[in-house]
Order: sequence, then structure tokens, then C-alpha cells
Amino acid sequence: MNRIALVSVGAAAGFAAAFMLFPMAHGATDGSYHQLDLFRAAFDLVRKDYVRPVSDTELVNNSIEGMVSGLDPHSSYMDAKAFNDLKIQTTGQFGGLGLEVTQEDGLVKVIAPIDDTPAAHAGLKTGDFIGGIDGVPIQGISLDDAISKMRGQPGTKVTITILRPGAKKPFDVALTRAVIAVDAVKYHREGDLGYIRLPTFNEKTDQGLEQAVRDLKRQIGPGLKGYVLDLRNNPGGLLDEAVAVSDDLLNSGGIVTTKGRTAGDNSRYDARGGDITDGKPIVVLINAGTASASEIVAGALKDDKRATVIGMTSFGKGSVQTILPLQPGNGALRLTTARYYTPSGHSIQALGIAPDIAVAQGDENDAATKLQRESEANLPGHLAGEKQNKKEVPPVKAPAGKKFDDFQLSYALDLLHGKPMKSADAN
Amino acid sequence: MRTEMALKRVALISIGMGAGFCAGLALLPIAYGDDLAGSQKALQRFGEAYNVVRERYVEQPEDKTMIEGAINGMMSNLDPHSSYFDPKAFADITVKTEGQYGGVGLVISAETGVVKVVQPIDDTPGSRAGIKKDDIISAIDGVTMMGKNLDQVQQKLRGLAGSKVTLTITRAGVKDPFDVKIVRAAIQVESVKYKREGDVGYIRIPAFNEQTVAGVEHAIRDLKAQIGPGIKGYIVDLRDDGGGVLEGAIGVSDAFLDGGEVVSTRGRRPQDTERYDAKAGDIAEGRPVVVLVNGGTASASEIVAGALQDHKRAIIMGTTSFGKGSVQTITPLDNGEEGALHMTTARYFTPSGRSIQATGIVPDIAVASNKDDPDESILFNETESILPHHLLPDDNKPPLAQTAPIKPDPAKTYDDFQLSYAVGYLDGKTKSRAVAATKTTGAGGN
Repeated sequence: MNRIALVSVGAAAGFAAAFMLFPMAHGATDGSYHQLDLFRAAFDLVRKDYVRPVSDTELVNNSIEGMVSGLDPHSSYMDAKAFNDLKIQTTGQFGGLGLEVTQEDGLVKVIAPIDDTPAAHAGLKTGDFIGGIDGVPIQGISLDDAISKMRGQPGTKVTITILRPGAKKPFDVALTRAVIAVDAVKYHREGDLGYIRLPTFNEKTDQGLEQAVRDLKRQIGPGLKGYVLDLRNNPGGLLDEAVAVSDDLLNSGGIVTTKGRTAGDNSRYDARGGDITDGKPIVVLINAGTASASEIVAGALKDDKRATVIGMTSFGKGSVQTILPLQPGNGALRLTTARYYTPSGHSIQALGIAPDIAVAQGDENDAATKLQRESEANLPGHLAGEKQNKKEVPPVKAPAGKKFDDFQLSYALDLLHGKPMKSADAN
Repeated sequence: MRTEMALKRVALISIGMGAGFCAGLALLPIAYGDDLAGSQKALQRFGEAYNVVRERYVEQPEDKTMIEGAINGMMSNLDPHSSYFDPKAFADITVKTEGQYGGVGLVISAETGVVKVVQPIDDTPGSRAGIKKDDIISAIDGVTMMGKNLDQVQQKLRGLAGSKVTLTITRAGVKDPFDVKIVRAAIQVESVKYKREGDVGYIRIPAFNEQTVAGVEHAIRDLKAQIGPGIKGYIVDLRDDGGGVLEGAIGVSDAFLDGGEVVSTRGRRPQDTERYDAKAGDIAEGRPVVVLVNGGTASASEIVAGALQDHKRAIIMGTTSFGKGSVQTITPLDNGEEGALHMTTARYFTPSGRSIQATGIVPDIAVASNKDDPDESILFNETESILPHHLLPDDNKPPLAQTAPIKPDPAKTYDDFQLSYAVGYLDGKTKSRAVAATKTTGAGGN
């Protein structure tokens, strides 16, 4: 990649980025000076009159966090310590629970449990709120603090209290921390089809995809009919990896463009020649947990008609966060600096990627899901998307009386075999 | 009445647990950076972040929004009761103190991210619509309330009388959340209720407002007339009383005390350190008093319980109170043009110097309720001490020992076990067990 800075497009904390050094801007306008004076006045009142003395550092940390996190759900502040932790975290593995989380009004909310982790095994779900850790409520603490409380030595125990919309009352879940490996690409053969699941986008994802395709070709041989690329519940990660994955499957054309307010935030990424799947049919699976970098891949393959996208409309996180370090010792901002657009020029922000064929898994109408449908457009303070007349097509549903382990996958496999299923109630 | 005492202060202070009992305005001069030398570095860090956001954020941010976010972040992390009122919220409060505002008549809590009905107020749209205690308000007008703080929830509930609001209710035992449409109305402030229980007078104070002292005085006069000279004592029920105006708490304590300190406040500003005393005269003429408290007894209620306990004027029964012993002052910024700071500026101390903050009032005789649900998660048994960033008591006193509560007889059914126990205690019908309990826990004031 020819950019100095990698940018993070994870829907959540935990997928880190490299660092962009940016010269500080000076030259506020009169209006902003008045606002800074107002801040000083409030700061001064708290220093003098609050019931106990509070350190300036604490006041300013909370102020910066309040300023930044009020902008949108994905921007936040890391103080010097949190910033250091982040640098360590990007270097390797850590003990944790395997939850992708975000914060809403002071509560920690689960975006998705990561496959094959303690959180996934314990049955935690998208949309759950974490109300407490080890019996202590965590409302109001910063997301980074909450994450660091959930992390710890592998093998140690932690109890989290879950508020599940629609559940009668909060309940406790006891978990044992495990090494959360940076998620590996998973794949297996489904008859004459290759199934590849990308759980996230990290430094190893593109490499993992290439390995999976090579191995599936070898296993299945020349009769290989096509691939299923499963991006369901993939919350995103590194932009560069999303670009590389798209590039692997495309022969040419645009992948994604980013647009911000500074020249450095405007970029266009194009595919180079070469499709590692030799033009075989691809079905991409998406759902409401498909966010950010995943949506770039789905959007690029859909716009190019390289793949048929099936499942449910994706999350709609079409913004890019960049880690912007402040002066040494001052921590860093994780700030939304750009929106991204699919090759046909659509913003994903708040709208998500609509599938070519809507296929329901069957669990979308749980009371919990209905009450708290998880998507960018539902997040308080989300960036506005483009106006668009949404044509909601009723999704294909599993026929009644038949049991499916994974209806969307079954549908995808049938589609690749050229015999799409009929919907249970479509007429 | 201690009205003159309160008016002497520039700031009236808000001591509601958060049930919407509000405050007057402290008109304090805003001090501009005269002693800020030491904090220049911290402010520079803030300025640096401010500039980076203005330069790089995906959209041109509004300076005003950024600074409101910053002040909000600074305030709300101080403790669970401090917050920033933006100009609109501040204007709403001003309107509310003038009594023009409508509401739904629900006392709610939102301390752990779940908005829960503490009590529907009798004869209000909320109770008429069938909203029940412990219902969870999961959404208002279709907007989720999970994780919202009390200020945000109250702003959504309030509106002009006659306007409509839809609450989505999650109720234990009901499978799916359901919607309840409510027309807002002017909410009559809750009044003191009383009744005769044999030879004992029962007085219930649901909240402390401007009418509470007069209500208690009237109740006692009437109970004396009803029961006559054989009156054995009084029960003052402060259970689930979330607080209210300070003058009400002082006046009610004063009514039962013959003199001495009621409560004192201590803060960093000189005007936040103050002591309130009772005048001579006990309208209950020294008859025994039992005060009932529970985990919903907060703030102004805890002042009354603490004062009567320390002076040994009353036996406190029930379960440990909430522990909200802090005072918030509202300071407008730029004359309110830029909103106001709602900030904790002092702690309350009982006459013996105990801080109510986080510790609460420990009953002299612990008596369990027959309504307690042992399965409830800690998240629903809210007390100040489990709130994140709660203020510490700062009185260097060990918390009072808590004894095992007297429990209802599982073989019997009770309408209100704590009340039955209190009545039995006052009319002498409760036997040895109560006496034993008094011996072991009666030294509550020390």
C-alpha cells in the first residue's frame, strides 16, 4: 500500500490502526474562541466548587472524551495509557472474551461475539448490553476501561451481567478468559463448492483468503463450481485488507473511495488484474452484523456483479476512523475522518448494503431483535447517510416444517448449484 | 419552618434522588482564569484535541456541539448526580419550576442503564394507564431508553400538558414488550397521607415538597383528635421516598425535635458549609416515633431519618436506605445562554457527624419486607454505593453494623410486614423478639 497511514474501519474498538502524524492546526475563529472561553469557565467552576478537588488531568481527559464521543458512535479519545495499551495490543494476542463491543450512552453494547471464543460459546448475542463486570455496574465508564476490565490472563474467570432487550431481567454469565487469537480465515469443502468465512479483517486476512482458495482448488479439483464468501457478523477491521480481498476476486475496476475534508483523507482504490478464483461464481453472505470493511468487500463485489450478495441488509457503517496521536504524552484521538463509497458512488453510511436476494435466517424477528434492531442508523448521533428510497423486498424464508442448520448457507449452496429454493411464503 | 434559613442562601439546593425534584438557580459569578496557571498544560491538551477535531473530522463540526460535549463529559464523569444542562434542558427546568409543565406521573430510576418505574404516582396519567412499579421503560416514542441517564429520560417524559407520549414497557411475566399511550397532564405534587392504625398514627410522606411540612403538621393534629389522649405513637413512613426540597426535610425533622442540629452540609465553597437547627417544640409531644426506611429512601428522607435517629427521637426500622448524601447546585453559564452546570458541591452530615453519602441510614431494627424478591440482580437493587464514580462518605466513621433482619413468618401472609411490625412495636403487642432486637441494634447514633 502506498499510504503511510493505515486506517481502521472496524465497527468497534479493538481493531487497531497504524498511526498518522498530523501537524497541529492553529487558528481558531472568533466563535471558537468564545466556545473555548466557555469551556474554561466551566472547567474553572468545577476546579473551585466541586465537592472534592479533582485533578486537571482527569477533568481534561473526560472533557476530550465527551467532546469526541459526542461526534458519532465511533470516535473516541485514548489517554496516554490507553494509547500505549493499544500499541501493545496490536503486536499480538491477548486474554479476553472475544466480544466486539461499542458504546451507547455510557453502556457497553455487543456488536457481535467473535466465532469460537468464550463469548460465543456462552451464547452472548448481538445487541446485548453489558451492565456489569464482576458484580460492578459499568455504566458511565469509558469503553476502553470496560474493555480492559474484560481482558486479563487467559484462564482467569470473569462474570458479566447482561441486559438483553426483551429479557425480563439482567442475568449473569460466567466466562473464562481465553487467548483471543487474531481471527483466522476458516474454510471447508461443501461438495463441489468452497466455503470461506472471514470473521474479521486483520493483517492476516488477505493471506488467509489466498491460502483458502489454493487449498480448496486442490481439494475439489477442476470440478469446483464456485465459492461462498461468508461475511456475516464480520464487524470489519483494516481497510487495506478489505481492499486486498476485493482485489483478489476482481480483475479490474474500482473497489472503494474515501472522502473526507482533507486531501489525505480522499483516496481511491482500484483492482489490479488477476482473479484468484478464475472467475468462478461467488455468493457473498451478509447480515445485520456485517459492518465496515466487510461492507466494502460486499459493495465492491456487488457493484461489479462479480458476486451475488444474499442475506439481510448489512449494518451500514460507512465511515473511516484514523488514530491521530496528540503531542507525546497526550494520548490520541480515534476520529472519524472520512466516509467511504462503493464503486457506483453509493455511501454505505447508515444504509448498509442491500442483498441482491434477501434471505432471512429465521431469527431476525425475535422480540429482542425487533426491539433493538442493531444498525448504524439506530445508533444515537450516527452520521447521516444519503437519502434513498428503500425498496424493502420481503426476504425468502425457510419453508415451514423443514429444519435448517443455517438456512442462508443452504440457500447459497443451492443457488450456486443452479436451483434456488422457493420461499416459504413467496407467491 | 425554616424557609428563612433557605432563602438566606443564594442557591437553593436540589436533593432529590433524581425523581425530578428540582432546584433554584445559583447565580454565581463565573470566575475567569485567575488561578489557572497550574492547569494551563491540561487546557493546552484540550485545545490541541479541539483543533485536531476541527481540522480532521469528516464533517465541519459545530464549535458549540463540541464544547457542549466536552462540558457534558467533564460533568457526568464526576459522580452520578452531576451533569451539564444544555440551554434547552436548562430552559425546561426554568419552565418546570414555574409549574407549567406536564408529565406522566412516574417516579423513575435510571441509575444502571435500565429505566425502571420506582413508583407510579396515584391519580396521574401514568398510574391510570396501568403502569406498574418495576416496569421497565424500554423506549419512549420509539426511541430506546437503554443506557440513557435520568435527565435524558425525564426530558422525553415531560412536555406540555395535553400532549401525547408512547411508552414501550417491558414487564416481568409478560413475554413481549408492549406500548402504552399516555396523555401528559399537570402533575399534582404528592401530598402527605395519614390514617389511624388502632392507637397508632400512621403518616406517609411520599416526597418532600413545599407542602410537606404543613401536611405533616395537619396529619398529626388530626390523628391526635381522632385517637385522643390514648395515642401510643406515630409511624413516619419514608419508604420509597426519593427526597425533594431540603426545607421540607428540615421542617419535618424540626416538627418532632425540641432543638439541636438537624443536618449540616460541608463543601469547598464557604456557602456550602452550613448547619441547620431545630426550634423548640415537639408537635408529637414526645410520643414514640418509628420511622420506616428502605432502599428507596433517599436524600431528604435520609436527612429526616438520620436526624431523628441521632437524637434518639425515633426508632428507625426497615432496611438500609439509598445513601444519597450529596448536594447539587445549579450554576448557569453565561446567564443560562450556554446552559448550566448541575454540580455536586457538598455532602450532608447527620447531627453526630455521620455522612449519609454512600453509607445510607442503617436501621436500628432491621425488618425485611414481605415484598422483597431475593432473585433480583444487583442491578435492580440500586444503592448509591454501587453506582460508578460515586462520591465517598468522607467522615472517617466505620459504617454501622448491620444485623440480620427480622423476617416475615413464611406461614403467614402480610399486606405490609414492616408496617405491621412497627404498629406492633408501638402498641406493645410485638413480643420479646423486638425487645431483643432493640437491645442489640439500638445504639444507632454512635
